[in-house]
Amino acid sequence: MLASWKQLIFQILLLLISCRHINTTSPDPTPPPLVPIDSLPRDVRRAAFKGEGQIEKVELLNPVNLELVCTWTGHQNKESNITGFWRKDGLEIENSHLTVQLQNEQYQLQQVFNIVSEENLGNYSCVFESEVKIDFVVAVPQIGEIRDKPVVTYVGDSGVITCKMEDSKPMPNTWKWYKANGTDKEEIFAAAEPQRYEIKNNERKTKLLVNNLTMADSGLYYCGAVYTLSTSMGHVELKVITYYEPLKPFMAIVAEVFILVTAILLFERSRSKKNDTEGDMMSDQTNTLSPGENNGLEGSSSMRQRKT
Amino acid sequence: MPPAAATNLGYTPPDGGWGWAIVVGAFISIGFSYAFPKSLTIYFKDIQEYFAVSYSEIAWVSSVMLASMYAAGPVSSILVNRYGSRPVVMVGGVMVSTGMVLASFGTAIIHLYLCIGVIGGFGLAFNLQPALTIIGTYFQVKRPLANGLAMTGSPVVLFTLAPLNQFLLDSFGWRGSFLILGGIVLNCCVAGSLMRPVNKKALKKTEKTEPPECNGGAAEEAATVDTITQSDNLTEENQKESKSQGCVNRFIDISLFKHRGFLIYLIGNVVMFFGFFAPVVFLAPCAKHKGIDEYSAAFLLSIFALADMFIRPTTGFIGNTKWIRPRIQYFFSFAVSYNGVCHLLFPLASEYTGLVVYAVFFGFAFGMLSALLFEVLMDLVGAHRFSSAVGLVTIIECGPVLLGPPLSGALVDIFGDYKYMYYACGVFMLVPGIFFFIMHYFNYRRLDKERGQIVAVDVRTCEEAVELKTNPDDKAAHDTDE
Repeated sequence: MLASWKQLIFQILLLLISCRHINTTSPDPTPPPLVPIDSLPRDVRRAAFKGEGQIEKVELLNPVNLELVCTWTGHQNKESNITGFWRKDGLEIENSHLTVQLQNEQYQLQQVFNIVSEENLGNYSCVFESEVKIDFVVAVPQIGEIRDKPVVTYVGDSGVITCKMEDSKPMPNTWKWYKANGTDKEEIFAAAEPQRYEIKNNERKTKLLVNNLTMADSGLYYCGAVYTLSTSMGHVELKVITYYEPLKPFMAIVAEVFILVTAILLFERSRSKKNDTEGDMMSDQTNTLSPGENNGLEGSSSMRQRKT
Repeated sequence: MPPAAATNLGYTPPDGGWGWAIVVGAFISIGFSYAFPKSLTIYFKDIQEYFAVSYSEIAWVSSVMLASMYAAGPVSSILVNRYGSRPVVMVGGVMVSTGMVLASFGTAIIHLYLCIGVIGGFGLAFNLQPALTIIGTYFQVKRPLANGLAMTGSPVVLFTLAPLNQFLLDSFGWRGSFLILGGIVLNCCVAGSLMRPVNKKALKKTEKTEPPECNGGAAEEAATVDTITQSDNLTEENQKESKSQGCVNRFIDISLFKHRGFLIYLIGNVVMFFGFFAPVVFLAPCAKHKGIDEYSAAFLLSIFALADMFIRPTTGFIGNTKWIRPRIQYFFSFAVSYNGVCHLLFPLASEYTGLVVYAVFFGFAFGMLSALLFEVLMDLVGAHRFSSAVGLVTIIECGPVLLGPPLSGALVDIFGDYKYMYYACGVFMLVPGIFFFIMHYFNYRRLDKERGQIVAVDVRTCEEAVELKTNPDDKAAHDTDE
């Protein structure tokens, strides 16, 4: 009986310590998660140090107990004990200092992190002897195929913007759309303005239709793939222009065609007038001369002409 | 079998001078006709998203355009026979332009089918046929070279339009791009204005009273001219006979179906076109299937286009040499067979270098064939009947051209591998190539025989004419001699 009570107290202490652990790293304190931490699944990610600036990507969808294992073979002169600790987003995590012993010619640093909400996501770095070895980027799946060129549409027309999550990555729970308003993002609620906006979600793809465009609709639109932990964003630029924009080059080209055609036809007419006046003079001469260049039958052809 | 149709045009084509301006005009017209449908594919992804349709539905726009272009061949021929090349090309240019401008305001996919597909396709047909026909009226001796240069328009315009279309799409979206393309394609009217009808009267003055040559030396000269034209110099009586045929023949020459050379050409081409375009269409997807990345696969197409661009005028030049010109049909047969061999050897290429080598050789093969495609038809039927011939050929080729790529696609889907499709295309090109070789061997023999007979007839009639002249007009002859 006493042993089980001790166990319970120990677990509660552990709970409080880990709760405080999380609270010190987040800028704005949020209430601790209601999900009991022990019931979360455990995800283990290992990485061995290969070179400077090594980054390991960790894609998470749901809250987990994330155990990160960092292995380093050490310097030439291998000491038996060195200190190691963890950093999150460049800031040292308190109470993470550990003395690491040399085992199998390697130093190994491991830590369990509770990833339950958006604040827990970020860049976790394992540090040996004040030198950052490996960065673990813990995030939700990012949208890879982002259209870098703007979608160009016209005033009064409708515009279609799409976002897609690759087949190789996990499907999001749902999609949300935001419009950039200065530095903020405003969520677009299609239900509020059904004539203007229409959102069509299809598991991996999402489509935003904007009807009756105006110049004010130009700008950046963000599509958010919503996962339990967080939302990953992609952006597409919408450009709204008036019909006058393409009309100007069009008129220029039509004018060029018109000028060229007129010039060619006028040139031809002046040539033919010159030929006609020359031709009249020439024809008298050719009748007397024999034009038998092709046949070489000068005598016979002139003879025939006189006949006819 | 009646001898080949008359190419005695009744005048001497200039073979230069304004002819080179005609080549420039034909270059532009032919370039737009072939390159325009292919270059529109860049817009398909955006239009597909806008109208929320599947890719095959949007690909129909290109197919309808190509189908209309081929099907409108006879209509174009009739108009050219009636009105000459210039008005038809200018109307064609205006039609394509109108089609594109209307399409830029379209609100449903069916608008695109009608405006770009039907109207645009007809307009392009009105550009293609007259451009080819007018080369035949301006060139005789240098015709293969002129044809080769004019056909180079296709790869050059495609090479220019591809990045231009991408730029337009990024700047103006698909609607604005269609509007501006409507303006660009209006340059076909400029090409049309260059196509001045050849001044037959000015050239006829030099040979106004040309009866059949009676001098022995002249007969030899006539024989060499015959080997160049590959048809016979009919006497004046025969010419009158061929002109007084039915009403239909004023519009389009149906009697071509009795023409031996034309039939050989038609049968061979119909089989050949099944395997002609598919390898081009599937080059990039096949490369991606073999593990090549998208940019390198696109680069393969550029290599192909460059090889194509280079070989077309070269082929025209080679075809014009005195060794090849008399037997240009064999050169064409070689080009067709070479295409077939190229495709049959393609599955041996596995890495990127192999594919590059294939792209270069295929580019050469494709260009060679394209440069000679219409030159040999002109050679067979003569410039006089070429307009009708090309109209009939294009409408019959419409079927294989449209069915070829989907059938090849079906082959790829069934077997899951591209090599069977390339084998099939190789066979579809090699068999007509061999067919052409054999049939033209026999055809040349028959033509030589017929030519020999006609020259003999000419010599006989000349001798008779000389006799007639010397007998009753003895006095006049004595006067002129002194």
